[in-house]
Amino acid sequence: MDSASETPVVEMLDIVKVFPGVRALDNVSFTVRRGQIHALLGKNGAGKSTLMHVLTGLYAPDSGTIRIRGTVHENLNTARAKQAGIALVSQHAKYIPGLSIAENVYCGMLPMKAGGFVDWKKMNRDAHEKLSHFGLDLDVTRLMEDTTVAERQMIEIARALFADASVIILDEPTAPLPKHDVAKLFEFVRRQRERGASFIYISHYLEEIFEVADHVTVMRNGAVTGTSAVRDITQQELIRLISGANVERYRRAGGNIGKPVLEIRKLARPGVYSGIDLTLHAGEVVGITGLEGSGPGELARGLFGLEPLGAGDIRLQGKPYSAASPIEALAQGLAYLPRDRHGLGIVAIRSVRDNISLSVLKRLQSLVGLIDGGSERKLAEDYIEALGIKTPSINTAVENLSGGNQQKVVVAKLAATEPRVLVLDEPTQGVDVQAKVDLLRIVDQLSQRGVAVAVVSDELNELMDICDRIVVFYRGRIIREFRKGQDTITTARLLAAIEGEMGEKADATV
Amino acid sequence: MQLSKHVPALLDHLIWVILVAVFIFFMTQSPVFLSSTNITNILSAAAILGILVVGQTFVLITGNFDLSTESTLGLAGLIGMFLIVPATAPYWGGGIMLNPYISIVVLLLMGAIVGYIIGALITIGKMNNFIVTLAMLLILRGLIMAFTKGTPISGLGFAPAETYFWLGHKALFEIPGVIKIPVAVVATAAVFVIGHIILNHRRFGRELYAIGGNRQAAIASGIDADARVRQVYVLSGLLAALGGWMLAGRVGSIQANLGEGYIFTVMAAAVIGGISLQGGRGTMLGALGGVLLLSTIDRGLNLMNVNVFWVKVIQGLIIMLAMFIDAQRVRFRSFEKVSQEPAGGQPAASN
Repeated sequence: MDSASETPVVEMLDIVKVFPGVRALDNVSFTVRRGQIHALLGKNGAGKSTLMHVLTGLYAPDSGTIRIRGTVHENLNTARAKQAGIALVSQHAKYIPGLSIAENVYCGMLPMKAGGFVDWKKMNRDAHEKLSHFGLDLDVTRLMEDTTVAERQMIEIARALFADASVIILDEPTAPLPKHDVAKLFEFVRRQRERGASFIYISHYLEEIFEVADHVTVMRNGAVTGTSAVRDITQQELIRLISGANVERYRRAGGNIGKPVLEIRKLARPGVYSGIDLTLHAGEVVGITGLEGSGPGELARGLFGLEPLGAGDIRLQGKPYSAASPIEALAQGLAYLPRDRHGLGIVAIRSVRDNISLSVLKRLQSLVGLIDGGSERKLAEDYIEALGIKTPSINTAVENLSGGNQQKVVVAKLAATEPRVLVLDEPTQGVDVQAKVDLLRIVDQLSQRGVAVAVVSDELNELMDICDRIVVFYRGRIIREFRKGQDTITTARLLAAIEGEMGEKADATV
Repeated sequence: MQLSKHVPALLDHLIWVILVAVFIFFMTQSPVFLSSTNITNILSAAAILGILVVGQTFVLITGNFDLSTESTLGLAGLIGMFLIVPATAPYWGGGIMLNPYISIVVLLLMGAIVGYIIGALITIGKMNNFIVTLAMLLILRGLIMAFTKGTPISGLGFAPAETYFWLGHKALFEIPGVIKIPVAVVATAAVFVIGHIILNHRRFGRELYAIGGNRQAAIASGIDADARVRQVYVLSGLLAALGGWMLAGRVGSIQANLGEGYIFTVMAAAVIGGISLQGGRGTMLGALGGVLLLSTIDRGLNLMNVNVFWVKVIQGLIIMLAMFIDAQRVRFRSFEKVSQEPAGGQPAASN
């Protein structure tokens, strides 16, 4: 009760942030107290990152109040947030690889001797002293590039603490760490908490929350769905808060599943995934899910030639399949909807028409090599109509459309290539509820036409609604497969599998 | 609201409004400005500039630069000349007196090869386009100097040179004192038309816009971006060589500094014409406007006897003004976007 009466370190009240077509933060309130490890949970796109971007001054909120150590900050920018004591330690800590630990610790404020020379001795001594003060006994003359990821993160946290940080945001710190380093990092973080440091802890691994956090806040669709002391909540309740009850859903009736179209056998890419056996059938929608970095996204990009695919036997309609580039993938009938819509999906400054026809210009050419303007216009108009793309005209630049309509434009571009296999990577990310429903309907319709569809996503409700099968990756392997109609598919069971629990054991805990 | 609707369209075509204004201004300043000789002069100057700007436009639309074209132009003019003068000619230890048609083919081929080398260094060698083309600018200029040893040479008086000079020198149609249509002007006009067709109506051109607009997305749409970039540099080199051939004929002699300093005007014309340096935006028509505007101003100031140093200052100011207008265009675009948000973000009820 004592700590509750104290002024919170961070207090965010009724924060609203709107992006074109999406209410990214909808009256979000979030409080971190001194000496607290506060876990922030939610799926991709739930609003966690946006909230943290507001706190670190990267995004200006549309409304709401931010108090840091009791002071209201109205025009927070990254410099002011840093000054106020907000520090971000990202999964990939920022450091200068070619310099020593000591130099990195002192970066920008190297101790000087008379005449403007760096006082190396003092620097190394002080750096070692400072780090050991935080319980880090390291040889500070080692190069930063020779340290482990966990060491880098701890150094980064220590640096933030030297700078008198009020609260340190840890963004999925354990994702790149081996198991024993996770324990070390937790031990370090707990020790700093005892000294009064506060942390915001973002992670997808639920068991970690119970291991390290004191308090937990869950977000979903831009709003807080619950906040509680960790000791007062169960894993099941957390899961329910994370997934929520869907407001609007599109349910696929079930498809006419035909012959195998894409057959993957014993596919392995060292360090990424191994032993992948997966078959996609004509007219089938297969969901692929798993934690970030556990394989589904890498497999999707690999199949489309954007990443190395690894070694194994892959056949598309019976013929050996390999793709060193998207050109080869498309030529063999495999199209891919990228997760990064702005980076890989749309050419934002060009028109809706130009984007839709981009992959099929060759087909639209007449005998003399000129693009048939009439056919191109018809192609664009047909897809605008069929997919319900809301646009003032076919000549409107795609950047002027909402996120959902941009995504539909990308789907139109893919559908125009008339693929045999469609791989969709987080197709509903960053689009509003209605567009989500529309997109799922479109996916269903494409599969009804005999396209084999794979949906990579961690929107479990959506996968359950439209997929005939859901395969779950865990650390580079397919750990479980759920078949609609044969297996009982619940969010809890899926999440358990995603977190690495196998078969019966997972069922028992639910 | 009504105003904001029309402002972007106005800004997009502002170049033509300015061109007309500039024309009227010079008409009031100089009685001979509207004479047929003067118009022919403007168009002849615009012809050579235009050829280079068309090539540059292709490169810029992909989001790249080509600084080397003025040197390619110089070297092409020189090689063409060297190939046709006889061995007895008192220049560079003598030429090889080839058929002028062969020499023209060789010089065009040279331009294409230079372009291919640049494109390969950028796409296969993963080198920075600015540095590669800057280096090529220096290398080719150095070669020209080494070759001519700094002596200006005239090809006039040799029979084959007459054929060689045809493109830059002759008129396609002429009523003395009334009208003169130089071959170069017609050729450049044709190049602009072909350029426009390629950009808008051929797969190649449309893919260039996508590459410049978002290279990664273009690649993910099945476009061979590296191949397109190489092809664009080949085109740029080829057109620079064509410009060299044209300029050699217009000047009638070859000097070591043929085309030197031209690249600034080329870039200025493209930018003034609305070609985005970020890539993905711009039209041939706009580029043509930029070329005509700069040529007109250049000629007009000349007629007004404005000191050449001030001409440079004025050109610089015009480029700044063009960039200012471009910045406003971007601002209006984002303004447009914001005002559309509620409509765009509203999910449709009837789907």
